[in-house]
Amino acid sequence: MPARTLLKKLKEALGEHIGEAWVPRPHRAFFTVKREELHDVVEALVKRFDIRHLSAISGVHTGEEIELLYHFWDYDVCFTVKIKLPRHEPCIKTLTDIVPGALLYEREVHDLLGVEFEGHPDLSPLVLPDGWEEGHPLLKDWSPPEEG
Amino acid sequence: MAQRLVIPIGPQHPALKEPLGFRFRVEGERVLETHIRMGYVHRGIERALQERSYIQDLYLVERICGICSHIHTTAFCQGVEELLGVEVPPRALYVRTIVCELERIHSHLLWLGVIGRDAGFETLFMYTWRDRETALDILEEISGNRVNYAVNTFGGVRIDLTSTQIESILGRLDYLEEQAHYYLKLVTSEATFVVRTHGVGYLSREDGRALCVVGPTIRASGVDRDVRRDDPYAAYEDLPFQVITTTEGDALARTVVRVKEVIESVRMIRHALHNLPEGEARVRVRRRIPPGEVISRVEAPRGELIYYIKSDGTERPARVKIRAPTMANMVAMPHMLKGAHIADIPVVVAAIDLCIACADR
Repeated sequence: MPARTLLKKLKEALGEHIGEAWVPRPHRAFFTVKREELHDVVEALVKRFDIRHLSAISGVHTGEEIELLYHFWDYDVCFTVKIKLPRHEPCIKTLTDIVPGALLYEREVHDLLGVEFEGHPDLSPLVLPDGWEEGHPLLKDWSPPEEG
Repeated sequence: MAQRLVIPIGPQHPALKEPLGFRFRVEGERVLETHIRMGYVHRGIERALQERSYIQDLYLVERICGICSHIHTTAFCQGVEELLGVEVPPRALYVRTIVCELERIHSHLLWLGVIGRDAGFETLFMYTWRDRETALDILEEISGNRVNYAVNTFGGVRIDLTSTQIESILGRLDYLEEQAHYYLKLVTSEATFVVRTHGVGYLSREDGRALCVVGPTIRASGVDRDVRRDDPYAAYEDLPFQVITTTEGDALARTVVRVKEVIESVRMIRHALHNLPEGEARVRVRRRIPPGEVISRVEAPRGELIYYIKSDGTERPARVKIRAPTMANMVAMPHMLKGAHIADIPVVVAAIDLCIACADR
């Protein structure tokens, strides 16, 4: 199904939840949702559209906000659901109850950007060492600890 | 009543060449629960990419992995090319694809040796690693290197194929195809191997989908999914090939899928060499990358590899996110190991074809 058709279908079903939406090229689609609605939107994707494959979660620190991009794969389209979290209160409900494949992706974003995923079963360090207290390395204002 | 124990294995251990920590909770000979600790080869590459120029990043992403290095640069290059809006010459796309498939062949043959060794069938290891040299020799002949080929660059490829090279590759492909057919017969009929892999590490279609598993691992569980066909890149749209799937979902099925993929890869390379377009192998591109964001996806030997690249118009990327296929497949491992015999752990772990360096970055 072309990206435009898929986006149209999703808009018809989830109309009020979908904010801005765009198709930059064939096989790609983006749309934004509010952070408190993300869980419901993804639940609808899984249960009503049988879209289960979460490819990745990208986190980007953009000054006052942290953007999270959830990349999904449905047949020939890779579409991205974008949400924004305030830098000083970066928390969001976990998706692991509906997409078990998000377990490690959420842990990585927690490590590197400090996003709290409410309800995640285990947010222990994934790529950072045990006992790491030097902050979250992918925040723009982070700098490596002094050596020695 | 057997006693419950926790067995720690790793991060340095005999089964894998890369560091990965396991804690198995077992009862008697059965695994009840698996806890995985990764991060021992985390090098902070995503952060490092933000602090270097795009062209420096190209060399850094090539070094994320020592096996599938070319696929990382392919994903990165096509993302940057999309940001630039350049059209890559068809000849370059073909050369890129040929190297991608040669890489798949050497990666799959390497893996076949590893699973052979872990299943206690070392002869298979000796055979496949001998034949893998044929693929590596081709790569060395065309690029000068055995693993980090440095073939890709923004706007095309740095090497071109001469007609003598094409003849020489075609000759050696016949040998690789013949050997792959032999391995297919071997792994499905040799009792030593079948008894260690049949029914081991089972993953159902539903669980595989829910856990977002990718690559040969999910194709062996009956999910027909391959980026090369679903989201064609490089020259894949022009090449006839079959996406190999099977429904058994065990370690044997994963082996069969990979061996058949080697055969498909040989055919794709042959077709690409016979139909190699004439013309330039690269175009010059601007140094400054316009602002924007792209998602670049490719089918690495281990499955879907996805790059998210965000540019803010400066000489360095604002963000590069890399999700390697092993990261996606790792989550299914505790699931496959549930109820397994302790003696089967190496086979189950190897059957996923882990690349820890890719997953940790």
